[in-house]
Amino acid sequence: MTLRTYLNGLALLLCAGASSNALAHNPMCECKAIDAEQIQCTGGFSDGSGAPGVTLDVIGYDETILVPGKLGADSTLTFKKPNAEFYVLFDAGPGHVVEIDQADIEAP
Amino acid sequence: MSSSTTATPPSRLSLFWHKWRFHINVLLLLIPLGFMPKYFSEAALFRGDAGLGEREVGEVQVGPWSLRLAEFRDEAPRLNGPVGHMKHFNAALCQSCISQVKATYLRIGKPRSLRAAGVIFFGSPYRMGALLPVPQKTRPDAELWITLEGWDGSMHQASIPLSQASPATVAWLKSQGNRP
Repeated sequence: MTLRTYLNGLALLLCAGASSNALAHNPMCECKAIDAEQIQCTGGFSDGSGAPGVTLDVIGYDETILVPGKLGADSTLTFKKPNAEFYVLFDAGPGHVVEIDQADIEAP
Repeated sequence: MSSSTTATPPSRLSLFWHKWRFHINVLLLLIPLGFMPKYFSEAALFRGDAGLGEREVGEVQVGPWSLRLAEFRDEAPRLNGPVGHMKHFNAALCQSCISQVKATYLRIGKPRSLRAAGVIFFGSPYRMGALLPVPQKTRPDAELWITLEGWDGSMHQASIPLSQASPATVAWLKSQGNRP
C-alpha cells in the first residue's frame, strides 16, 4: 500500500515536470494536393485544438492574395491550385502564422 | 485451556531497518542539497539575474532602433511535439525605443511581408521571449531576420547570420545532413 502511494506520488511529480512544454501552443498547418487540381490545407494548434474560422490565404509571389479563405468547421480548406507561383499563409494573428511554400506541398 | 505464544525472531531486514533508519532518513534529507546549485542557477536564468539568456548575441541595430538578443539556452533547438524543433530567443528593446516599438518579430530567412514576419516576441520590452521554429532543412548559412513594427506604422528590418545568433543551432543543422 505504501509502495503504491510512493509510486503514485512519483508519477505525479514526473507529470508536473513534463507538462511545462505542453503549456505553449503553436500554430500548425499542413497542405497536400488531393488531386492534380485541388489542394487541401488543415490548420490547428500544437495543443491538439482545431482552427475553424481561422484565416488561410493563398498568396502569390508578387504578394497578391489569390484565394482569401477561412478554414471550415473541420479546420480544413480546399482550393483550386493557382496557375501563378504561390505560398499558403495560415494566419492565426500577428506572429502566429505558418507559411507553406508551393514547393513544400506534397503531390497526390 | 492454556495458551502459549512463541515469539518469532525479527527478520534481518527488520533488524537492519530498526538499527539504521535514523541515519537513512538523514541521508534522504541530504539528497536535495546536491541539486541546489543547479536549482539556483536555473532560478537566476528564469528571473533574469543571470542576464537575458545563457548566451548573449549582442546589440543588433534595426533601423533607428536596436535590441539586445540572446539565446535563452546555449543549445540546439528542442523538439517541441508536433510543431517540430523550436529555439528560444530572448530580447530587450533599447530604452528609447520601448515607447515607439509596437511589435518585434523573428524569422529565419527574409520575410515576404509584415504579415509573414515570423514569430512575435511576447513579454515585457525589457525581457521578451520568442520560440522560433527551426526546420531541419534550414541551410546552415541562413540568416536570422528581425522585424520591428512601430506604433507610427513604420517597419524596420535587420538580419544577422544564424551562425552568429546561435552556433549551437548551426552545428545541429550540420549534423542533420540537410534532411527535407
